[in-house]
Amino acid sequence: MRDYILLFVNGKRNRIDGADAFRTVSDFLRGVLNLCGTKIVCSEGDCGSCSVLCGTPDFQNRRFSYKPIDSCIRFVYQLDGCNIVTVEGLADNEVQGGKLNCVQQAMIDCHGSQCGFCTPGFVMAMTGILEDSNSPSENDWRRGLTGNLCRCTGYSPIIEAGLRSDTKSSASMNDCFEPTAMLDAIGNAASQEITVTSNTQTIYSPTTIDQAVQYLVQYPEVKIVAGATDVGVQFNKGNCEAEVWLDLNRVWSMKTVSLTGGAIVAGAGATWSDIEILIENDLPQFHQILTWFGSPQIRNVGTIGGNIVNASPIADSLPLMFVCNAELQLTGGDGTREVNINDFYQGYKKFDLQPGELLSQIRIPLPEDDEELRLYKISRRQDLDISSFTGAIKMKLSGRKIRSAVIAYGAVGPVVLRLPKTESFLAGKELNEETMVAAGEIVVSEIKPITDVRGGDEYRLQLARNVLLKFLHEVRPEGALA
Amino acid sequence: MNEHSQNLLERVKVLDGKSVGKSIPHDSAIGHVTGSAPYIDDLPRRVDELFVGFAGSPFAAGKIVSVELDDAQKVEGVVCVLTHNDVGPHNIFGPLFCDEPFLADGELLYIGQPLVIVAAETQAALAEGINRIVINATASEPVLSVDEAIKQKKFIGPRRQIKCGDPETAINNAPEKLSGTFYIGGQEQFYLESQAAIAFPGEQDQLIVHSSTQNTTEIQTMVAEVLGLSMHQVVCICKRMGGAFGGKETQAVIPALMVSLVAQRTGRAARIVYDKDTDMCVTGKRHAYVCNWEVGFKPDGQIVGLKCDFYSDGGAAADLSTSVMERTLLHADNSYFFEHAQFNGQVCKTNVPPNTAFRGFGGPQAVAATENIIERIAEYLKIDAFDLRLKNTYGQTDRNVTPYGQLFSGNHMSEIMETLAESSNYRHRVAKLPGRNSTDRMNLHGISMTPVKFGISFTTKFLNQANALVNVYTDGTIQVSTGGTEMGQGLNTKIRQLVADEFGVGYSSVIVMPTSTEKNNNTSPTAASAGTDLNGAAAVNGSQIIKKRLADFAAEIFASPEKGLIPSPDHIEFAGGIVSDVRQPGSGIPFSELCNRARLERIDLGARGFYKTPGVDFNRETGKGNPFLYYTQGAAVAEVSIDRFTGELTVPRVDLLMDIGKSINPKVDMGQITGGFIQGMGWVTAECLVYDEKGNLLSHSPTTYKIPAITDVPPEFNCAFFPNDDNLHCVRRSKAVGEPPLLLGVAAWAAVKNALSFLPSDHDPNLSLPATGEEILRCLTEQANG
Ligand SMILES: Cc1cc2nc3c(=O)[nH]c(=O)nc-3n(C[C@H](O)[C@H](O)[C@H](O)COP(=O)(O)OP(=O)(O)OC[C@H]3O[C@@H](n4cnc5c(N)ncnc54)[C@H](O)[C@@H]3O)c2cc1C
Ligand code: FES
Ligand code: FES
Repeated sequence: MRDYILLFVNGKRNRIDGADAFRTVSDFLRGVLNLCGTKIVCSEGDCGSCSVLCGTPDFQNRRFSYKPIDSCIRFVYQLDGCNIVTVEGLADNEVQGGKLNCVQQAMIDCHGSQCGFCTPGFVMAMTGILEDSNSPSENDWRRGLTGNLCRCTGYSPIIEAGLRSDTKSSASMNDCFEPTAMLDAIGNAASQEITVTSNTQTIYSPTTIDQAVQYLVQYPEVKIVAGATDVGVQFNKGNCEAEVWLDLNRVWSMKTVSLTGGAIVAGAGATWSDIEILIENDLPQFHQILTWFGSPQIRNVGTIGGNIVNASPIADSLPLMFVCNAELQLTGGDGTREVNINDFYQGYKKFDLQPGELLSQIRIPLPEDDEELRLYKISRRQDLDISSFTGAIKMKLSGRKIRSAVIAYGAVGPVVLRLPKTESFLAGKELNEETMVAAGEIVVSEIKPITDVRGGDEYRLQLARNVLLKFLHEVRPEGALA
Repeated sequence: MNEHSQNLLERVKVLDGKSVGKSIPHDSAIGHVTGSAPYIDDLPRRVDELFVGFAGSPFAAGKIVSVELDDAQKVEGVVCVLTHNDVGPHNIFGPLFCDEPFLADGELLYIGQPLVIVAAETQAALAEGINRIVINATASEPVLSVDEAIKQKKFIGPRRQIKCGDPETAINNAPEKLSGTFYIGGQEQFYLESQAAIAFPGEQDQLIVHSSTQNTTEIQTMVAEVLGLSMHQVVCICKRMGGAFGGKETQAVIPALMVSLVAQRTGRAARIVYDKDTDMCVTGKRHAYVCNWEVGFKPDGQIVGLKCDFYSDGGAAADLSTSVMERTLLHADNSYFFEHAQFNGQVCKTNVPPNTAFRGFGGPQAVAATENIIERIAEYLKIDAFDLRLKNTYGQTDRNVTPYGQLFSGNHMSEIMETLAESSNYRHRVAKLPGRNSTDRMNLHGISMTPVKFGISFTTKFLNQANALVNVYTDGTIQVSTGGTEMGQGLNTKIRQLVADEFGVGYSSVIVMPTSTEKNNNTSPTAASAGTDLNGAAAVNGSQIIKKRLADFAAEIFASPEKGLIPSPDHIEFAGGIVSDVRQPGSGIPFSELCNRARLERIDLGARGFYKTPGVDFNRETGKGNPFLYYTQGAAVAEVSIDRFTGELTVPRVDLLMDIGKSINPKVDMGQITGGFIQGMGWVTAECLVYDEKGNLLSHSPTTYKIPAITDVPPEFNCAFFPNDDNLHCVRRSKAVGEPPLLLGVAAWAAVKNALSFLPSDHDPNLSLPATGEEILRCLTEQANG
C-alpha cells in the first residue's frame, strides 16, 4: 500500500501526498508548481484553455501514450504514474533545447494567437493531434480541436497553423521525455494499491475489481470516480463534497472494450475514445454520435460507465443502449448480477445500483442486418454541447411494412423514455408519411418535456414528432418523396 | 514641394517602409505560445496578498432589509468584510451618468449585484466567508424585458432621434408598405480572461491598480472618485487582456474598485479574479433590442420612406447605453440612401446587469434591423435581395448624404458588392436555389449578401484624442507608451511597426510598454475600432518630434563646408538603422551612435506625441453633424443549410470582402476580420442568453452559452481585402478594422431568412435574432401549419 501519488510533470518527478493529491491538476500546476501557462476559464471542461497532454505509461511498449485532457476536471490522484506535459514543457526539454515546437512556431507564423488566453490550450491540443498522426487533414484539425474555444481569431488562422505545422521539425513527446527513466521510477509501484489522506478526505486507488468491491462493501458511502468528467465539474461548482473517494482509473481490467459475439462488450471504465475507434465500421450511427460527444479531451477520459451511472436523462449513449437492450453487469460483495438497461432507471437520477455495488461491464448487442437504426443528438451547437434532445429509433422492416419498432427519447422526461404506445402503434403499419405523422401525435402523449436553458417544451415536442419523419426520409428516401 | 510630389514621396515612403505593411507576428506571440505571457491571475502572489470576492443580490429587484456579517467575520482567515457603509459618500459612479451604485445600498437592481466584499488570506477562507453572509431582503417584481419596460415606462436618458425628409408622408404615399416588430437578442462578450484586478497600496495614500481594462483612465478616475482620493494618487496599469470586446471598457471598474477598497482599508495587496459563471452573471452584455419598423417602397424595390423605433435593454444603470443607442441611430441607414427616414431610440431600464459596449456598439443591431426589412421587401416583391440592395445603395455623386447630414465620401459600396458578387459566384448560386430547394427533402438552403458601412470615430467628440510617450535610448532602442490597451487586436504590434519606420530602425528596436496612467494621462478607452488610428498617430507624432531634433543635429554633423554642403535637416534620412545625408551617398552613422552623440550634446531624446481627430462633430440634440472621419466598408455572402426536421443550421460557405485601406499589418487585420465575422455569426445564429422568470441568467458558462466552435467555421471561408489606398485621413492610409467585420455576421442570419422564404407558405413567421435551431424550427413549423 502506498500513501502518495507519483506524478511526472514535464518529465520531472513529483511525490504528492496530503491535500495536494485532491487538487485538480490545473490547480496543482498553477498553485503548487507555479506553472501558470495553463489557463483557467470555465473549470468545467468546456473551453479547453487548461488542456495539457497526459502521458499514460504503456509498460509493454516501454513508452507513454499522450492524449490531451482538460486539467481543470482531472484530479491529481487520478494520474498516478502519468507524465503531464504542459505548455512550459514543449520547448523546454533536452531534445527541443528551448526551440519552439512546430505547432508553437506555426501558431506564431500564422497569427494563431490574438489575446493569447486560449493559446496554451490550443498548442497542447494541437501537439496532441500530431502525436496521433503525421499529416492531419483540415478535417482532422477541426475534429481534433472541438474541445478548445477561441473568441478572438475565428479559428481560421489556427486551422492554417495546424496545416502548416511541420512535423519534421520537432520531436514527439516520447522523444522529448525519455520514457525509460520514468517507467523505471514507477516500476513496481504501478501495481500497488494507494491510499492518500488529507485532513478531510481519503482516496483509495485499487488496481483490481475485487479490491474495489471490497472497499465499496466496507465504505458504501464512498464516491466512485472514473473519468471525473461529471464528478470534476460537480466538484468545481461546489455540488460534490465527498470525504472518501474510490478511483477506478488504475483498474485496467475495467478499461477494455471489444466486439464479441455481435455485441460491444465494454468494461465500465472504457473511455469513449477507445469505443469510438472500435465501432467506427460496425456501428457507424453511434460512431457519429460519439464524434459529437463532448470533445477529444472529454472522450479521452470520460467512460461509458460514468455516463450510465451519472444517470442524466440527456446522456448521449443511453437511447442507443435502450433500443439495443444493453445488459449491465453490476458487481458487489455477493458477486455479479445482470440488469437490462431498460429496467435500470427508476426516476430522476435514481437507479438500481445497490450500496456496495459498482457497474463493471456493459454489453450492447449490435442491431441485426434487417434492422434500421438511426440516432439523433440535437443541441444548440453541434460539437461539445449537451443535447437538447436525443433519440434512437430501431425498426425491423420487411418491404414497406414495419414489423417492429423500438424507440427511446432523451431530454423529454426525468429519465430516458421508451415509447411503448408509439412502438405498438407502429408495429405492422406501412412505413410512410401518414404513419409517421400519426405516430408523432402518439409520441407527444407519451412524453413530458420541460422548458430549460437548452430549449422550450414546444421545441422538444416538435423535435419528438419530426425525428420520426426524419427517420422515414433517411431510411426510405424514394418512398418519402413519392 | 508641391502637393503632387509630396504625395509621391509619401507613397514611396509607404512602399519602402520596413515594417509597416508586413505581417509581423503579434507582439506577444512567443509569450502566448509558450504560456509565458502573464495575465492578472498569473502574476506572482505577494506574501501579504489577500483574496477578494463578493456576495451579491439574491433578487433582481427589491430592498435590502439587513445584512448579517458577523459569522463571516469570524471565519478564520477572513480579514475584512465591507459594505457600502465602508465606501464613503461616493458609492455611485458611471461613465456617462453617475447612476450606478458600487455596492448595493438599499435598493437591489439585479441578481448578483455586488453587496458585500470579503477579503481573506486563502481562497478557502474567502469562499467560507462569502457563504456565511446572510442577506435579508424583500423581493419585488423585476422588469426583465424591453416590452415590459416600455409598458411601465422605465427608461434611461431621453429619446433620441435622427430624421431626414418627411418619412410620414413618404410612407403614406408609397405604393407598397410593410411593417413589423423585430426582436434582437443580446450577446455575452465571452472574453476568455474574466474580469480581474490587483491593487497595491503605496505611499502617501497612493494605490497602484493592475486591471484587465480597456480604459486605464476610467479605472483611475473611478477609483479616485469612489475612494475619495485625488487622481494623482492612483495609477492604473494594464499590460494585456485575455480578450475584452468592449466588455472591459467600463465593466472593469467594479472589480478594480473592490480590490482598491480592500487595499486602502487593509494596507495589503488585494486581488480579485472572477470565475466565469460569476463574470457572466454580473457583467453587462450586448443590448437586446426591439425594433418597430415601417417602410414604404416602390414595386421595383426602391425604398421611399423608412421609420424605425429602437428600444434597447439598458439593464439596471446607464453605463454606455445612450452612446450605444446613438451609434444604432447612426447606423440604421447601413449602406443605403434614404431620402425620408426617421430613427428613434430609447434606452430601457430593466433588472439585469447594466448592458455595455460590445464590438459594434449598437451598430450591429441597427444593421440587423435594416437587413431584416430589406429581406422582407425582397420576399414580398419576390425579387432578389441583392438587386434591392444595389438599387438602394448610396450613390457617388448624388444620393450620398446620410440621414444625419454627413456626406458619404470615399464610398466604395457598390464596387465592393459587385466585386464580391462576382468572386463568390453569387448570381449563379442564387439561380440554383429554387431547384435545390425543391428537390432536397432533407435540407433547405438560402444565400444572402449583406453590406456594411461602419463610421469610424467616437461619436462623443472629446474622446477622439490620444497621447503617446516616446523614449529613445542611447543604444538606439525605443520605448513607446500610449493609452491604448492590448486585448489581442494587435495594437502594440502596429505601434511598434509605425514607430520603427519613423526612425528607420528594425521592428525589434521598438518595444511597447504596459499601458499606465503614469505615462499616459487623460486617455480614451481603446474602443470604437480607433485604437491604432488614435494611438498610432500620437506615437508617430511623438516620434517625429524627436526625429526632428535628431535631424537638426545630424544635419550639423553631416554638413561639409568644403563640399559646399550647408546643414540641411530636410536631407537627413533615417533608414535601415542608419542616419545619413542623402546628398552624400555612402555617408551615414548608425542610429544608435547618433542617439548617443545627441545625448552628449544635451538633446532631448524623449517626447510626447498628441493627436486629435480633425473635423468630427455631432449634435445629438438635432441629430445632425459629421460624427465620422471616414467609413470602413465591406460585404459578406453567406450560404446556409437548414435541417428541415430539426431546424439545425450549418453555414457551408462564406465570402467576405473588406475595405480597410492600406493595411499596416495584413495578417493582424485579417485576424480581426475572421474573428469579427465568426463572433457576429455566433450572435445571429447560436448565442442565446436565457433567463428564468426571476431574472437569473441560466446560460452563464460555456456549458450552456454556446459561442462558435472550430467546426462552426464555414468549410469554405474566403476572406479578402478590397484594394484601396485613398484613405488620406488615417495613419499610413490605413483604416480601422476591429468592429466592422462583426456586422458582416448578419449575412448568415439574412441567409436563414432567405432559406425560409422558399417554403410554400406566404405567411411570414417573423424570424427573430438569433436564428437558433429552436427559432428556426418554430418558423418551419409555423410555415408548414399556416
Ligand atoms: C465538457 C463536457 C462535455 C460533455 N459532453 C457530453 C456529451 O456530449 N454527451 C454526454 O452524454 N455526456 C457528456 N458529458 C458528461 C460526461 O462526460 C459523461 O457522462 C461521461 O461519460 C462520464 O464519465 P466519467 O468517467 O467521466 O464519469 P465520472 O465523472 O467519473 O462519474 C460519473 C458518475 O458515475 C459514477 N460512476 C462512474 N463509474 C462508475 C462505476 N463503474 N460504477 C458505479 N458508479 C460509477 C460516479 O460515482 C459518478 O456519480 C460531458 C461532460 C463535460 C465536462
Ligand atoms: S478551464 Fe475550461 S476546460 Fe478547463
Ligand atoms: S486568441 Fe483570444 S481567445 Fe483565442
